[in-house]
Amino acid sequence: MNSVETLKQSDDYILELHNVKKYFPVQKSLLEQIFAGRKDFVRAVDDVSLNIRRGEAFGLAGESGSGKTTIGRLSIGLEELTDGRVVFNGIDLASLKKEELRKLRQKMQVIFQDPMASLNPRMTLGSSVMQGLIIHYPELSNQHRDMVAEIFEKVGLTPANYYFNKFPHQISGGQRQRVVIARALITRPDLVLADEPVAMADVSVRALLLDLMVQLKNEFNLTYLFITHDLATAKYICDRIGILYLGKLAEVATVQEVYQRPMHPYTKALLAAIPVPNPRKRRTEVMPAGEIPNPINPPPGCRFHPRCPIAQPDCAVDEPPLVEVEPGHFVACKYAKLS
Amino acid sequence: MDKKILMKIKDLSVTYQTRLGPVSAVDHVSFDIYKGEILGLVGESGCGKSTLGKALLRMIDPPGEISSGEIIFKGEDIMKYDYNKLRNFRGKRASMIFQDPMTSLNPVQRMDEHLIEAIGVHEPGVKRESALKRSKKMIKRLGIGADRLHSYPHQLSGGMRQRVMTGIGLILNANLIIADEATTSLDVIVEAKLMDQLREIREEFGISLLMITHNIALVAEMADRIAVMYAGHMVEIGDIYKIFEHPKHPYTQGLLASVPNIQFDANEELYKMPGEPPNLTHPPKGCRFHPRCPHAMPICSTREPSLLEIEKGWLVNCWLYQKHQD
Amino acid sequence: MNNQNEKMDSAVPEWQLELDKVGFVRKLLLARKWYKGDWWFVLVSAVLLLVIIILGVFPQWFAPYDPKAEVGPSLLAPGEETPGFLLLANIDDHVVTLQEIATKTNKIGYIMGSQATQALRDSLEIMNEEADNEETGITYQPRGYRYEDIQQGLDALQAGEIDGFIVSSEELGDHLQDYPGIHFVEEVRSSKASSFTLGTNQLGQDILSRIIWGTRIALIVGLSSACISFVIGVPLGLISGFFGGKLDRILTLIMDSLYAFPGLILAIAIAAVLGAGIGNIILAIAVIYIPTYFRVVRGQTLTVKNELYVEAARSLGTKTSTILWKYVFPNVLPSVVIIFSVNVADAILTEAGLSFLGLGLPPDTPDWGIDLARGQDYLRSAWWLITCPGMMVSLVTLSFSMLGESLSEILNPRLSEL
Repeated sequence: MNSVETLKQSDDYILELHNVKKYFPVQKSLLEQIFAGRKDFVRAVDDVSLNIRRGEAFGLAGESGSGKTTIGRLSIGLEELTDGRVVFNGIDLASLKKEELRKLRQKMQVIFQDPMASLNPRMTLGSSVMQGLIIHYPELSNQHRDMVAEIFEKVGLTPANYYFNKFPHQISGGQRQRVVIARALITRPDLVLADEPVAMADVSVRALLLDLMVQLKNEFNLTYLFITHDLATAKYICDRIGILYLGKLAEVATVQEVYQRPMHPYTKALLAAIPVPNPRKRRTEVMPAGEIPNPINPPPGCRFHPRCPIAQPDCAVDEPPLVEVEPGHFVACKYAKLS
Repeated sequence: MDKKILMKIKDLSVTYQTRLGPVSAVDHVSFDIYKGEILGLVGESGCGKSTLGKALLRMIDPPGEISSGEIIFKGEDIMKYDYNKLRNFRGKRASMIFQDPMTSLNPVQRMDEHLIEAIGVHEPGVKRESALKRSKKMIKRLGIGADRLHSYPHQLSGGMRQRVMTGIGLILNANLIIADEATTSLDVIVEAKLMDQLREIREEFGISLLMITHNIALVAEMADRIAVMYAGHMVEIGDIYKIFEHPKHPYTQGLLASVPNIQFDANEELYKMPGEPPNLTHPPKGCRFHPRCPHAMPICSTREPSLLEIEKGWLVNCWLYQKHQD
Repeated sequence: MNNQNEKMDSAVPEWQLELDKVGFVRKLLLARKWYKGDWWFVLVSAVLLLVIIILGVFPQWFAPYDPKAEVGPSLLAPGEETPGFLLLANIDDHVVTLQEIATKTNKIGYIMGSQATQALRDSLEIMNEEADNEETGITYQPRGYRYEDIQQGLDALQAGEIDGFIVSSEELGDHLQDYPGIHFVEEVRSSKASSFTLGTNQLGQDILSRIIWGTRIALIVGLSSACISFVIGVPLGLISGFFGGKLDRILTLIMDSLYAFPGLILAIAIAAVLGAGIGNIILAIAVIYIPTYFRVVRGQTLTVKNELYVEAARSLGTKTSTILWKYVFPNVLPSVVIIFSVNVADAILTEAGLSFLGLGLPPDTPDWGIDLARGQDYLRSAWWLITCPGMMVSLVTLSFSMLGESLSEILNPRLSEL
């Protein structure tokens, strides 16, 4: 079983995930239910433990089926756990009543992937951003407008009054994402879940957005949980990164460590697969065979073993635990070593 | 050693009629596609690259239309093709792979049927057994197990579906495959494997591949030449090594400098290009990039430059490299 | 970063700023360039509707006559002049005007069942009015004598049994040739207007006035029932779609059953149960439409509740009631607006149908349906009895439908790039 991380220093953890599991029941037709008998589950998240320090930008990376989005949603209580605990600022989310959780939302905000879809098309930008204030700081109602103007300026939407009355379809994609960032930050949260926040922005705009996010993190003392499939982008904003494969953590370390000294065979393959914007540095490595298995029936033992170039017979039997092989560098592989 | 030209595009323009007026999504673009090359066409949203790709197969529907230009393929201008010749051209000479394989494949048709049907459409004389044999061979060539031959699209993964799409184009011995964001919806390892496949196929069959994508790193990985588009114009096109090492157009310079690199290089800062791509209903006067250009000159805001060859095989569309009055 | 901010300022394009300075009226006119066909559509339907609404609210300003009054000869064609009747008298009597032979001591003859009596009555009324005004003290009230046919009448006249004989020119035909001693004195006309724009019905009521007054009823019934359907159907659809579960299933079942009934039949059934009266008609029609609103709103709600911005609102900590009101409802509303206009149109049609069948409104109400019913038998002979109210129904229905359709184009937020 994966063990909970043991860190030497007493760190201030804003978010702790303890053996978190999330299984989704598979929809079956009536006939299938009668004949199949047992229920099938999509094991989206299968026993993941993580601690995120206050003030860091933690990246959760993985391909499709890795469970990264689900972990994000579980972390801020948008999804219910099948098993395990999520502790935010020392509070176990499961212990909260619905109303208390709703009030706690002020402290944990989300930046979604698709800015066009995450903004109410019938609400002005100013109004959308102000909602957070209306809900969590109703007593300051006469200052709301000024607060919105202030955050608009911070994210670079100036003149603020111009953008206040615009609708989402009247501005560009990059500007929309800024609005989404403004909306997330206006309630002064502690934790921001950023779900592929720049994936839909143009390449030339991404750098600006990432820069903005880093600057705001420092200014507001935020913690980011950054979910992405784009490791190249994650490098520019994350301090630490966790690589997920099929619902389990494969490797967790600082960005430098993971990118320059990867140990898990999957991490190595993943990094090798990512194209480098330099034609003189084209990939020479061979890609692992096969494709990501179905999360309903993951392979026994280590989930990566059918595709792993260094798999041993016992990899098909025992699930490797996430072990700290070097200070701050965790790997879930018995035979991992630096190449 | 002059490479042979497969397709010559001259002065191509595509215009859309919108509520806010006519929009020139592609504005007087000229370039060549060589035989057997991989040409990467890059640009950001709204630059017109996807529209250009569709225009090459004359697949522009109203409210858009190809408002000017010639597309010369094997000596013939396909703009002048009638319906039958066009049908013959599409699929047999040039085919397209789209972003979402799920919607481009018929969900109620098995994979082998897809391939057999493609043959049936373009080579009507071919018998079914022969078509089936060819399909089996192609699927094996694409690295899909023979047991998946009878699968429906939803039973295959995204990567496999894209390979089948490629197969449909290849089975008819097309000369040109246009891949429009073909790997955007795929995981990176799957994408890498598909790219390996395409490279092998290019070696074996000698086809040309036009890769339309916003993923610049992918183009660096795959292409022989790169073409950069901005706001409907072709701004730079040439050899991939030369352009990556010494990009000439300011947009290309900015664009390449803003691409994240997974490797740790000396320079760790991403270039932040100011401004945003223009609204094509009101494009800037003169050079469309001038509001965001760090090297803008007075002439840039009054007259449009043209795409000129400044070195052999290297074309740039910028006043910095052309004679101008002031 | 500040440098970037400054550059961002100039990133607001000039033309966009220009656009914002434009006032509302100019935007409306600019819209014409952008929306082209749809703009005209909206304009025409809006103008039509405005006219209809004014007609409905102030019918008394426009209707030339009281719709219930029998002001003209029956079955007069549109524009046809009220028939003039011929006063015949013996040449020897030297009669010049009707007035001379219209006192109490006189006898006037006419053919049985002829409209001549009406004309005579009207003329007498005028003469009496004048007499009152001038205080001449004379009352004009001759005795009337009926004859079965023209010849009997002419014989009587010739024989001196009556002083004057009033006939229409058709009735007279060329019989005058046989009676050389009788001549034509003057024309006797109905005092009222010489012609009716849209003709009269069998009771002599002016059709134009009736259809103008009919607008009021139609609008009242149409709008009220649509509003009731809306107010009941939309919230139910929202709640059902958003919360799902047992409530959803029960409601869907009820609504689907109601929806399955052909509208008119259901309305008839309800009207029959509730009884006559305008209020009951409104309720009956309202019930028919509740399922439509319910279904559409529920379907839209199901889609909208899964949209990312609803999830974003939830993650913001928004209360459920606020989510429904601020996020779901405004995005569901555009589709409902179209339904509303079509609903009004259809309600008017249904109401006409119900009245046509004789259910609901009191029979003397100036209502299009009632007129349609009454005009059935005269389709061949007096086509205007049906055509005019029928056209009004079509016109109003069309206007509401047109407005609804064109509004749907414009209400879509992506298109309101003004």
